[in-house]
Amino acid sequence: MQPFALSHAIPADDQSPAIVPYSYNVALQLNVLSDGRPAIADRAVLLATGTTTSTAGSKTHFDD
Amino acid sequence: MTVLILTCRQDVTADLVVAELRERGVPLVRFDPADLPGDAAMSADFDRGDFTGYLSTGGRLMSMHGLRSIWVRRPGQPAAHAKEPSEWLTAECGQALYGMLYATTARWMNHPGAATLARCKPFQLRIAQRSGFAVPATLVTTYPRAAHEFATEFRDIVVKSTSGPPSVDPPVTLPTTRIGPETDFSDVAAGATLLQRFIPKQADIRLICVGDQLFAARKVSAADQVDGRFGHHGHLWEPVEVPDRIARSVYEYMSLTNLAYGAFDFAEDEDDVWWFLECNQGGQFGFIELETGQPIAAAVAAWLAAPRTSEGC
Repeated sequence: MQPFALSHAIPADDQSPAIVPYSYNVALQLNVLSDGRPAIADRAVLLATGTTTSTAGSKTHFDD
Repeated sequence: MTVLILTCRQDVTADLVVAELRERGVPLVRFDPADLPGDAAMSADFDRGDFTGYLSTGGRLMSMHGLRSIWVRRPGQPAAHAKEPSEWLTAECGQALYGMLYATTARWMNHPGAATLARCKPFQLRIAQRSGFAVPATLVTTYPRAAHEFATEFRDIVVKSTSGPPSVDPPVTLPTTRIGPETDFSDVAAGATLLQRFIPKQADIRLICVGDQLFAARKVSAADQVDGRFGHHGHLWEPVEVPDRIARSVYEYMSLTNLAYGAFDFAEDEDDVWWFLECNQGGQFGFIELETGQPIAAAVAAWLAAPRTSEGC
C-alpha cells in the first residue's frame, strides 16, 4: 500500500539541470551573460529558459 | 543600512530586485547560507550586555547593527556546499546563522517562523476562510471512508499533495489531479490525503502581495485544465484589476499570517468568483513581471529599502 496521492505521481518532465546562458558574478551580485550584460537585460532569454516560472524552483523549493 | 538577500546564486528573480536596489543606491549583500562555512563566514559576539554580529561573503562584510531588512528568497541549506556536509553541520550552521539574524531588529520578508506556518495547507485554508475568501470544500484525511463520502457528496474532486512532490529517483511530480467518485480510496489510510471539490475554471489568477501593494495577473484556462502550472495552451498572463472584496481579504490574510509577501493562486469560475487555492509565501513573481510588465521587483525593493522602525540590535 502506498500513500493515495503518490498513485497520481507522474515522471518529472526534465530531470537534468537547466543549462542557462549566464553565470553568477560575485562582484556584481548578479547573473551575467557571456557578453557581460546582466542576464535580466535579456528578458527573452529568461522567458525561454523558464528560470522565473512557477515550476522553476520546484525541484529544490516547495514554494513556487 | 544594508539589505540582506538570502538566496542561491542562480536565482535570477533575485537579480531583478538587486538591480532595483542598486538603482536606488541601497547597499545590499547577497548571501547563500549553503556557502557557510567556506566562501561565507559569520561571527556573533555576546559580551558585557551587548551584541555584535558580522557576515561576510564575496569580499563583503556586513554588521548586524547596520542591517536594514532581510529578504528570504531561495536560500540554500546551511553548509550544503561544505567540504564534508552533514545533517549535523547544517543544523549547527543554521542555528548559528538564523539565530544571529533573529537577534537583530531587521524587518523580514518573510520571517522564517511565519513562513513555516504559512506553508501548511490546512492552516492556509482556515486562514483563507477567516479572511473572507471563497474556499472550495476540502478534506484532509487518513480515513478511506471519509474520503469516499467526500467524493460521493461532491462527485467531481481533485487530489493534491500537501507538501509537494517526494524526493525520489527518478524524480516525479504531483500535479493536481481530477478523480471521480468511483475511485478506490483504501490507500488513503497510508498517508494524509488532501481532496478538494473541483472548481471548473475559466482562468487562473496569480496575485502578488508586497506589503500593501497588490499585483494580479490572469491567464485563460484551456477547457478542463486542472493544474495551471502544467500544460501550455498558448494563453498568456495579462494584468487584471483586483476586486475590492478580494483586496480586503488579502490584507486580512497577510495580517493574520504575519507575512510581508505572498503569492496567491485563485481559480476564476464562470461567475467570475475567485476561489482561493493557496498562498505561497515564497511564490514566484518573475514570470508575472516579465509577461505583464507589472513593477513587482520594484515594489519588493522599495519594501526592503524602507527604514526599520526601531534602532540598534
